[in-house]
Amino acid sequence: MADAAAKLSLEGVASGYGAINIITELSLAVKAGEIFALMGKNGMGKTTLLKTILGLIGLRAGAIAVDGRSIAGASPASLIASGIAYGPQEQALFQDLSIKDNLRLALRSDRELDNGLDHVYGHFPFMKERLAQKAGTLSGGEQKMLILARALMLKPKLLLLDEISEGLQPSVVTRIANALKDERQKNGTTILLVEQNLDFALGIADRWAVLKLGRIDDEGDVAPEARQKILEHLKI
Amino acid sequence: MIVLLDIVTTAAILFVVASGLLAIFGVLKIINFAHGAWLTLGGYCAVVTTALGLNPWTALPLAFVAGALLGAITEMVIVRPLYRRPLDAILATWGLGIVIGQLITLWFGRDVQFTPNLLSGTVDLFGASYSIYRLFTIAAALIIGCAFAFLLEGTRLGLSTRAVIMNETLARALGIDVARVRLITFMIGTGLTGLAGVLLTPLTSVDPNMGVGWLIGAFMLVMVAGSSFAALAFACLIFGGAQVMVSTFVSPILGGITVAVLCALVLRVSPKGFSRG
Repeated sequence: MADAAAKLSLEGVASGYGAINIITELSLAVKAGEIFALMGKNGMGKTTLLKTILGLIGLRAGAIAVDGRSIAGASPASLIASGIAYGPQEQALFQDLSIKDNLRLALRSDRELDNGLDHVYGHFPFMKERLAQKAGTLSGGEQKMLILARALMLKPKLLLLDEISEGLQPSVVTRIANALKDERQKNGTTILLVEQNLDFALGIADRWAVLKLGRIDDEGDVAPEARQKILEHLKI
Repeated sequence: MIVLLDIVTTAAILFVVASGLLAIFGVLKIINFAHGAWLTLGGYCAVVTTALGLNPWTALPLAFVAGALLGAITEMVIVRPLYRRPLDAILATWGLGIVIGQLITLWFGRDVQFTPNLLSGTVDLFGASYSIYRLFTIAAALIIGCAFAFLLEGTRLGLSTRAVIMNETLARALGIDVARVRLITFMIGTGLTGLAGVLLTPLTSVDPNMGVGWLIGAFMLVMVAGSSFAALAFACLIFGGAQVMVSTFVSPILGGITVAVLCALVLRVSPKGFSRG
């Protein structure tokens, strides 16, 4: 049974593509208000797991629940309307649309736009003056900030982020880390981070887990010895 | 000068006829090969309003609504399971076009029907008289083009539609109801095609095969235009112009195949056509 006390719980989850299961018998619980870092080498199923939670990939076995209620079979549209937000890793922006239009796409109505914009300006003030700029013309770091800003537009209850720090210079990583910590503190947002950047992940997370071949291989609290433990799991 | 007017009005008529097909192809990435049947349906809406003694202009909203409703049923029952199989969708909609044509024949018979002009008369331009209705088609094309521009650039539905066109997977990940966007787009496209059928009635007689002759030209224009209405307008102007020139100075029979032949040549040289080439 799914953990009813957790914000997000997964029990015996399996999913994949075609005839292949990428995720197999995966169980995990993320507490409300927690930042949880999910790590693993490439191809271990991290992105597949996030897509399965969001209903983009069909759940083949097991149970997924948010606030104790099953979300199996729910559409991405209904999950996002219920307060889940997702920041994808690849092809995550509409390059030919403006910053403003990319942010608008997080909303179902423009009536929420002013509140949403005010909210993200608090984290990333540069967007205020550059709303009309096309997303494709932003630097890599600015694009990542836009991905995060879009996910934060509706002050989500549960935020799923896929390698948001990938390829970024340390100053941008710090800004993103501050935004996430601030969001958790002010809005109680629960955050599931898929990451390969150990410093970033352990710098903001409360707990961690390592995904290996579609299953949780190890997990624990963020403590001084966690880093070495995770490195052992991640070494080639 | 009259030739120039012919070129512009022919381009306008081609744009009106092809825009519904482009709306569907641009978003759904499938070709509705029953497009001709929707044109015919629109033509028969004009026949019905005439038979009922209504103002001929009432055929326009009637055809839009009838086209959109039939489009909704078609999208939900026939097209929706075939989005991942676009070739099957072509075959299915081709078959549907035949069925619609036969149903129209059953209902109205094979006889050619005539409808009253929406606008009659001529106007003196550059020393010659020119059909007011052909001039009106320019306004109709501009209205349709502007309406699409507003819909795409000025509304939330348009923003969602552009998102689906650019990256459907990401659109879905952001909670956009892609199925709803597809349904509405299909309804707009088929409704617009029905409306185009009414607009054709002053230029042609109405019979169960009325739309078939327009299908290949519209299809080729859409292939060249990709998903861009601006590119469609450009293609209509270029190829419609060529059609007028060939019809006027060479042979009307060759003029009838000019659009299809030139579009095929353009696609041979630049497979992505005008909009993305």
